Amino acid sequence: MTLNLCVLTPNRIVWDSEVKEIILSTNSGQIGVLPNHAPIATAVDIGILRIRLNGQWLTMALMGGFARIGNNKITILVNDAEKGSDIDPQEAQQILELAEANLRKAEGKRQIIEANLALRRARTRVEAINAIS
Amino acid sequence: MSCSNLTMLVSSKPSLSDATALSFRSSLTPFQVPSHNPSSPGSRPTGPIQCGLRELRERIDSVKNTQKITEAMKLVAAAKVRRAQEAVVNGRPFSETLVEVLYNINEQLQTEDIDVPLTKVRPVKKVALVVVTGDRGLCGGFNNAIIKKAEARIADLKELGLDYTVISVGKKGNSYFQRRPYIPVDKFLEGGSLPTAKEAQAIADDVFSLFVSEEVDKVELLYTKFVSLVKSDPVIHTLLPLSPKGEICDVNGICVDAAEDEFFRLTTKEGKLTVERDLVRTKTDDFSPILQFEQDPVQILDALLPLYLNSQILRALQESLASELAARMSAMSNATDNATELKKSLSIVYNRQRQAKITGEILEIVAGANALS
Repeated sequence: MTLNLCVLTPNRIVWDSEVKEIILSTNSGQIGVLPNHAPIATAVDIGILRIRLNGQWLTMALMGGFARIGNNKITILVNDAEKGSDIDPQEAQQILELAEANLRKAEGKRQIIEANLALRRARTRVEAINAIS
Repeated sequence: MSCSNLTMLVSSKPSLSDATALSFRSSLTPFQVPSHNPSSPGSRPTGPIQCGLRELRERIDSVKNTQKITEAMKLVAAAKVRRAQEAVVNGRPFSETLVEVLYNINEQLQTEDIDVPLTKVRPVKKVALVVVTGDRGLCGGFNNAIIKKAEARIADLKELGLDYTVISVGKKGNSYFQRRPYIPVDKFLEGGSLPTAKEAQAIADDVFSLFVSEEVDKVELLYTKFVSLVKSDPVIHTLLPLSPKGEICDVNGICVDAAEDEFFRLTTKEGKLTVERDLVRTKTDDFSPILQFEQDPVQILDALLPLYLNSQILRALQESLASELAARMSAMSNATDNATELKKSLSIVYNRQRQAKITGEILEIVAGANALS
């Protein structure tokens, strides 16, 4: 019995195949999903999704959204998703540094909100490349 | 005597049109050179074309080149409309699933009072307008139409005494607002050639932070709705505050249910490209009742609504792109037709002049031969 995982973004389907196990970052911590998990619906935080296929772990950076776990069928709706292997390490590092600088410069409630979001996203992308465990 | 021979020589040429032959015969009798004739036959509505032979040839060449370019642009735009349509189709699974989940959560939260920042309705003091324009020109009245609508809306808001700010997306809108510093613009964003989730995210971030930090109380989205290949409609939709059911409301308060969606398809009917719009209603079947919420339903709604915001913005960008491409297709097709007509009339004048020149030379030779004999 395998899990069917579907990762959807507003403009394309990022992943649609069978996996063995996933580890998802939610607002209330990380949850691991194995086959025959109880059906739940959860909000997904800006973080990393780990997918296990035949003993190999794959990472994907998710930019926040929603996940629905049904009868061995997981549907994850996110604003944007990038496979760890698709991210360029140098570019991601540069974006992270830019985001940190922006946060330090930010003034006013609105700029701080924006800068925080950008920083979290940049950090997730960098982590997705590194954390291939 | 020699003149009549000449006319027969001239009219036997197969490339001559009837009009040209007639004008030759009529203009040869009084012995006028037709190129200096200011009143040309009325078959050309553009009026007399006065040029020398070489200039005419160059003009014909340049019109031919322009025609090739406009024809190519039309075909490119047609190919891109297909791609834009595919992008809309690709986004369908996401929006369908989202709507399903939204409906189900709302059913569970019917009785509760939800307090999600994105749905908070406040008394409106300042409105943000997101104006979506195109990046390039040569698309007929497309950019003008949306900018006019934006100006009209700004005038309306001024009349109501509300403050406003503009977020401009697209190079054409950017240059327009940059030249008018009296309109407060919040941010200039570039659209890409194909709108991706990243661009929608950038706009959504901006709009989200403006709304949540209470700098603005209402966000409206101005984009062009793709009605058909020759018609597109600039519309204004209220983006924020969102209704928790996910309805999209027009400025006039006309709300469209999120589950009902229109999708457009580019197909061929009787050999011509047409657009068909289908109204699709997504099935909202019941969730399995034992579905537990890992977090508070309010938190889940909090995570869902930004997703919904993103997908709305992306849809608006895609529709805008599709209408821009359709406008460009029809503008370039008109341009190609005009170029063909212009080339035809220029060729007629060119041939007439060329033949007049040849006739003149022949007459000189004949006259000279007569003088010698």
